[in-house]
Amino acid sequence: MDELDAAGVARRANRGVNGGAVQPPHCSIKKVVRILRRATTTCRIRLLLPLLIATLIITSAALAADAEAGRRKAAACVACHGPDGNSTNPAVPTLAGQVGTYLHWQLLLYRDKRRVDAQMAPIAAALSETDMADLAAFFAAQRPTPPPEPTVAAGSDAGRRLAESYHCNDCHGRDFGGREYAPRLRGLSREYVVAQMRGFKARTRGDLDGAMTQAAQPVADADIEPLADFIGSMR
Amino acid sequence: MRLSSLRYVLALTLVVAVVLATGLVTAQQSTAPPTWKQGQPKEMESSTLSPVAQPPAPKAAGEIPIDKIKVPQGFKVELWASGINNARVMTWGDKGTLFVSSRVAGNVYAVVDKGGSREVKTIAKGLNLPNGVAFKDGTLYIAEIHRITKMEGIEGKLDSPPEMKVVYDTLPKDAPHGWKYLAFGPDGKLYFNIGAPCNICIPPDTHANISRVNPDGTGFEYWAHGVRNSVGFDWHPVTKELYFTTHARDWLGEDVPSDRLDVAAKKGLHFGYPYCHQGDIPDPEFGKGRSCGEFAAPLLKTGPHVAGNGVEFYTGSMFPAEYKNRIFLAQRGSWNRSQKIGFRVMMVTLRQGDVPKYEPFAEGWLQGDQIWGRPVYTRQMKDGSLLISDDYAGAIYRVSYGR
Repeated sequence: MDELDAAGVARRANRGVNGGAVQPPHCSIKKVVRILRRATTTCRIRLLLPLLIATLIITSAALAADAEAGRRKAAACVACHGPDGNSTNPAVPTLAGQVGTYLHWQLLLYRDKRRVDAQMAPIAAALSETDMADLAAFFAAQRPTPPPEPTVAAGSDAGRRLAESYHCNDCHGRDFGGREYAPRLRGLSREYVVAQMRGFKARTRGDLDGAMTQAAQPVADADIEPLADFIGSMR
Repeated sequence: MRLSSLRYVLALTLVVAVVLATGLVTAQQSTAPPTWKQGQPKEMESSTLSPVAQPPAPKAAGEIPIDKIKVPQGFKVELWASGINNARVMTWGDKGTLFVSSRVAGNVYAVVDKGGSREVKTIAKGLNLPNGVAFKDGTLYIAEIHRITKMEGIEGKLDSPPEMKVVYDTLPKDAPHGWKYLAFGPDGKLYFNIGAPCNICIPPDTHANISRVNPDGTGFEYWAHGVRNSVGFDWHPVTKELYFTTHARDWLGEDVPSDRLDVAAKKGLHFGYPYCHQGDIPDPEFGKGRSCGEFAAPLLKTGPHVAGNGVEFYTGSMFPAEYKNRIFLAQRGSWNRSQKIGFRVMMVTLRQGDVPKYEPFAEGWLQGDQIWGRPVYTRQMKDGSLLISDDYAGAIYRVSYGR
């Protein structure tokens, strides 16, 4: 269609709308339906196009991080990480309530082999960027339930002092609830924390910007378990 | 009786010794806080300021409010490319490929201009904060924290990139301020920064400098000292002198110290860190017994916490004549300041015998207290227009003039 034709169609379409004789402010669904019924095909397109575009924009914006879509995609995740990402296996971290940006970055680290794990590698490799955003949004929005078995809190006081002396709160938050750039530690199992700390200290646990690898270097080997006792005991 | 009291005294001494020793050990265990928090004075302990987190995904083209970017009259801004996670330094290949680095995303990209649209290919991933990219004679050089590598003949092999050959890897491995800007000087050598591994500290002799090495990895030497962290530099088109930006230390206040633009006209100058900031503020801890007069003064104080990254002299012919040899400074913006500042591209006009003129060129990534993007580097196009990368939105903008 050349420009002239398009202009002609537009003029006819305008007549079509005016011919409907229905104008705002009194607008109702019935009236809109009546306009559409009377309108020419081109006019219908002209009337519906903005709606269609708006829908597309909303959908694509939602695609950026859609927690509901994440729920549908999470079947493979919850098999190990537990219902809603509340893990009952101490070797597997709880994802429920975890910081969303952290979860998303971890999936990217697994995909790019910067964080190495035999089970996570093929899973992350199969995810699209949208899948990652959706899954991160879904698990971040879930309510974390405290781990079922109460952990022995005997070492907790020593652990609390260690956490202070190693400045864990500076990044992980006063209540260990995490921040945009550091994960929530509350609710992680003792076993998982020990494994991560040892990995960071050995420089084998992938790290986004090296901050945690650096933070782990001065941590004495003997301090890792008491620290994990404390973190694992938090409810 | 006497024996038992002696035993008692001995036991008590032992207990006291153990308690003291434990105390000492505990005291030794108190380690440095994370880099961003290090140097924070006691009275600021309750501050909620902390670095801005890098989003894990770039913004979709439709989510980028391009009309918010304001430029001088006669200039026009368009979204040139999007979907480039953490886009940072841009450098041109001989055949018109734009190579784009990232930092925490660990990727290097190739952007191929297809006329009306751009195709983005990831040519390397999983790298160690590969901020530096430079191109010469068909070869792309990449600077990670711990090494400089090269990809030969890359432009003909974008879909199956050649192996990364090590050029130079005798470098510190510290993550804080360890990411590098990389550029070829007029002498054909590769220049890069080795930042201070802290916010404020007496850095090891190997850190807080700008260094250079031959493209074959020989002839390493330090060029400038006392540079906390420079992640942007360029050479004056006429004088061939090195101009560079530096991020100043944090936690000294809202309005001090200023970041700076400097000239390292010759080898071996010291720019003050950690003893003196912005040329006239001795560091409260490390400045004792030193004088700011010992060090090279800044050419320009660019403002507190603005985080000046990209430095580029304008050499094109599209912009008005007065833009010739002006410097574009891309400022990624503050975190250590309650009132945000930066998030803009400034321009500097050098003036004989006078202080440089310093004014905004492009701004609008900061709206009130909210940011939607962070301009980090600029790169001229062949036609004289200017590309601006944004590592927060994962986008590249193009600023053109007139036509």
